[in-house]
Amino acid sequence: MSKSIFELVDQLPTGGLTVSLLNSLDFVAPGQWHNVVGFVNTIKTVTGETDEDLIQQIAERAIYLYNDRSQGYQRAMWLYQTVDTTDKALGAAALANKVGESIPLLGFLNKVTPKADKAQTIDLALKLVTELVAFCQINGIPGDSIGDFVASLGEYSGESLIRMVALVCVDGLIPLGPDFINKALSSINQTSPQELEQNSTFKNIQDSIPGNNSSSKLNFIGESFDSVKGWMGNLVASNNLTPQKVVANLQSFTQIADDKLDYLAAFLDVSTNYYEHTGTQTLARRLIERALAEL
Amino acid sequence: MIFRRGHRILVALLLSVLLLTTACAPKTPGQFDQVQKESTQKKSGQAVAKNATQGSEFNKLFPGEQDGYQRVFTQEKKGFAEANLKKGGKVMAQLAVSDTTSTPSAAAKYSSSTKKIGAYPAVTLGNTQTSVLVGKYQVKVISKDPSFTASDREDWIQKFNLSGLARLK
Repeated sequence: MSKSIFELVDQLPTGGLTVSLLNSLDFVAPGQWHNVVGFVNTIKTVTGETDEDLIQQIAERAIYLYNDRSQGYQRAMWLYQTVDTTDKALGAAALANKVGESIPLLGFLNKVTPKADKAQTIDLALKLVTELVAFCQINGIPGDSIGDFVASLGEYSGESLIRMVALVCVDGLIPLGPDFINKALSSINQTSPQELEQNSTFKNIQDSIPGNNSSSKLNFIGESFDSVKGWMGNLVASNNLTPQKVVANLQSFTQIADDKLDYLAAFLDVSTNYYEHTGTQTLARRLIERALAEL
Repeated sequence: MIFRRGHRILVALLLSVLLLTTACAPKTPGQFDQVQKESTQKKSGQAVAKNATQGSEFNKLFPGEQDGYQRVFTQEKKGFAEANLKKGGKVMAQLAVSDTTSTPSAAAKYSSSTKKIGAYPAVTLGNTQTSVLVGKYQVKVISKDPSFTASDREDWIQKFNLSGLARLK
């Protein structure tokens, strides 16, 4: 049986590798993310309310909303959890691939596991699409135009912002280098609707992507990626982000040398779940905001 | 005597049972267990009524950008739409419209209201919320910054197209 929303938020860890990773990225978005855990604590933090009765009412409405499948919140949670699980498989495969490359006798591993670069490119595109799809599941498509929608994306702050910062640093810069945006974009641009239909992750999430057919869904992915690409580029430029700078800030909790970036990326994929962690926090926030507004 | 030994055995037995049951006693029910149980009786439709108005119908009735405020839509779901009201990049307030078909208790609180904003019964909730009921729709403004006062909230409620909302089905 899947967990209740209050269990999921109550069980968010206060420490560990994922939390350390996110804290170490604070230099990119200073003071934006605080690891708020616990359902009641989150309600108090988001609403500023302290009245116990009101908090109980907010909580109950949020729980009802989460449990109503027609509202899409459980789907969003599944997306955040799924992408981190897939991540671990990709991370493990990439690590196996790396071992195969270093030891010639184990070269056969190259034939059965994805190359690290391709795996990481898939990972980046996958996570971006998941973010957009989860966003739509949680928030709908706010406003009346693409302009309104892009503006609502620009409202990212707190736990949503740090998740995107981590995506850029951990899934973009470290494994794919400074040109990660173009690498990921060409990956998308070289994909046809038919190829998209063959992708197992797309098969899982396609019903959640706006568009009447694969061609228009691919368009949506491309257009939305384009708007996010500008924001990502700005983030990198305004913080002078390089793989080396990011790794230097991660050295506080990893022992991996900065010339082993592929290993580091795979290690982080396997040992952290920042999408699920911050995704849970984002979802809880939006649920609570809606619950409060509807009371 | 048999009776006395039997009594002792009984006491020992009762003590053991007591120890066993307290050790295995279920946790004190959490404050949300009841509502979790109630809200999972159905898979779908328990929170939002099937005939609730789509959030997209509300968007055009929101106040436009004015007085240096920027309006950014943030949520649009069945029965609900919300926007941030920003000034200088800071979120000052949240504006929301919801269909109370899904939340009868939300509508019920207006029956004892003595205040009106425009033509509509009004309620304040906590320290940060003011709302009115327009037919079955609730319009709420929530302060997110201390400088956005209750008076500001009332002003912004009136900037909604409330008569348009009253005509909405």
